[in-house]
Amino acid sequence: MVLKHRMFISLIIIYGLLFGVSIQYYRMDIQNPVVEDSGRLLPVSIKKIESHTEEKQLQKLVKTANETGDKLSIAGMQHSQGGHTYYPNGVMIDMKEYNKILDFNVKEKTITVQSGATWDDIQRTINPYGLAVKVMQSQNIFTIGGSLSANVHGRDIKNGALIDTIISLRLLNPNGQIVTLSKEENSELFSLVVGGYGLFGIILDVTLELTEDELYQIRTNLVDYKEYSQYFINEIKNNPDVKMHMARISIAPDTFLEDMYVIDYMVSENQEEINQHNQLIEDDIIAIPKMLLGISRYSDWGKNMFWSFQKEYIKSINGHYETRNNVMRSSTAFMDYENSVKTEVLQEYFVPIDHFVDYIDDLRAVLETEEFNLINITIRYVEKNEHAVLSYAKDDMFALVLLINQGSSSKEIEKTKKIIQKMIDVAHKHEGSYYLPYFPYPTHHQMRTAYPRTDEFFAMKRKYDRDERFVNLFYEVYGK
Amino acid sequence: MTYRQFIFSQGLVMMAGSMIFPFYILLLRNVGNSYSQFGWAYGLFALTAAISYPFIGKYSDKLGDKKLLLVYCWSMAFLLLFFPIVKEVWHVYILQILMGLLGAVQKNTEKTSLARTVEKESAGKEIGKYHLWTSVGAAFAIIITGYIVDFITVGSIFYLASVLYVISGIVLYKNAKIKIRINNEVNT
Repeated sequence: MVLKHRMFISLIIIYGLLFGVSIQYYRMDIQNPVVEDSGRLLPVSIKKIESHTEEKQLQKLVKTANETGDKLSIAGMQHSQGGHTYYPNGVMIDMKEYNKILDFNVKEKTITVQSGATWDDIQRTINPYGLAVKVMQSQNIFTIGGSLSANVHGRDIKNGALIDTIISLRLLNPNGQIVTLSKEENSELFSLVVGGYGLFGIILDVTLELTEDELYQIRTNLVDYKEYSQYFINEIKNNPDVKMHMARISIAPDTFLEDMYVIDYMVSENQEEINQHNQLIEDDIIAIPKMLLGISRYSDWGKNMFWSFQKEYIKSINGHYETRNNVMRSSTAFMDYENSVKTEVLQEYFVPIDHFVDYIDDLRAVLETEEFNLINITIRYVEKNEHAVLSYAKDDMFALVLLINQGSSSKEIEKTKKIIQKMIDVAHKHEGSYYLPYFPYPTHHQMRTAYPRTDEFFAMKRKYDRDERFVNLFYEVYGK
Repeated sequence: MTYRQFIFSQGLVMMAGSMIFPFYILLLRNVGNSYSQFGWAYGLFALTAAISYPFIGKYSDKLGDKKLLLVYCWSMAFLLLFFPIVKEVWHVYILQILMGLLGAVQKNTEKTSLARTVEKESAGKEIGKYHLWTSVGAAFAIIITGYIVDFITVGSIFYLASVLYVISGIVLYKNAKIKIRINNEVNT
């Protein structure tokens, strides 16, 4: 009896001890969250995530970090794929809650938003007033701060680069001070911050130029890759009615890098009908494209079928009407991909318009010898613009966005790396460049070739941020 | 072990069990990231249970149901302390195997206890009553836990469930003591 009692007491004591140890471990664990971005290849343990809604709190955070020596990184939607939003054992500032619309001037066609606001937030505010964004990505899920930091581009072909649509922005610098930047005021820092991947401080708020929302009629066509450049110059660039454009080139084995289709958005003659079309599109039904994309991930047969489906689909939308705002809010949900051992990564290459055919021929030559699961290539246009220090648009260029399905193991990463480095060499051979927000596959040399002002950029980073307060994995890999 | 206490302790066990099961998937989500891994985790659970049933049956006849239930409660209480701190998928697999074994202990013993306690004539009514009270406990636990998860972390649920198992163990142990005392009194 006594023995049993003792056993019971000791059981309780052991349990209590284990309980304490477990809780202690658990607390330590949730205090050091592991974060990763949409590439899912770079999980990193960080110190903590901070999220604030007040400017003062952010200011205090930076000042405190200067005292404690904490490293800071800035995150929006985290669709960059090279750890641009975090740093090992650093504090990640999640800006998504910092998302108020501060000012909207219908007459002047300007809007001022906090940097955590998304393009969707802006569209919902301005659409009822018949206004639209000038330059943004094809999707609207991204934050303004993140988009500026990656100096994004999209389907618009007539409004120049994003940087030129920014009237001004306010930056919380590494000293904890707030400075206003624009093309006229602190212009050097302005050209570093846009496309600066969060290395110069926190973008607090931004004032952007807006334009009229317009009704577009969709024109679709099938073209051969050899005719695309000419088609683009004659039918799109020199046609003042075409305001937006995108294209796809086939990745299906039967028509690999040959077949193309184009989607052009032309100003409709019936602008008075805009009211019938200007309700914002909400999420589409995505089951069919999701299924087709799923099949094309696993088989050549699926890729051929998906390509035929797409060609039929674009025929069916020829002549349809869509407002500018709706063109700029296309769905990405069907591309969401969950798999334990594989992931999907993006690459983007820029090539001058007149090099396009030779470039594609060389790219095909590289890819035909490699085992490489390419899922999609979309093509857009970027106009020459070198206002940002890290500018990719060295000329009037086509931008090819590649979606690649790859394994997550280190062996698979190594395999993809070799092919991607070859593809970047092909882009460089044709005076092209590549886009920076993705996985650090490119070599240091490749970065410096694509971005001749790389060394200047990182030197400036250390000039404006002596203590290297704002860091991320991109800086860690290429900046030091 | 009185029948009422048996129901009470089993009610607690059901509460704790149903607290963790629906939310367990949230934990798996944090650790693994594919449906095939969910499949494996639950498959291993079911397989271990299947393999262990014959042995458990034998032991329950030898050792008695109460002892096995005590072992079950305490083992679960300990095991649950590991859940919030798992990091890798293989940790989950090991826990699932142990859970499968213990789940089999509980299921088998629950039935043998019922079989040994209830009168054959009124078995339907009594087992119905047993299921009523244990299911009521389970239902409330699931609903309340849903609210709790909103306020605390998923990990904390495992601690709560673990404590419930301890209480269930204590209830079983205490009433074992009472029974022994009564026996002693009768003997003297």
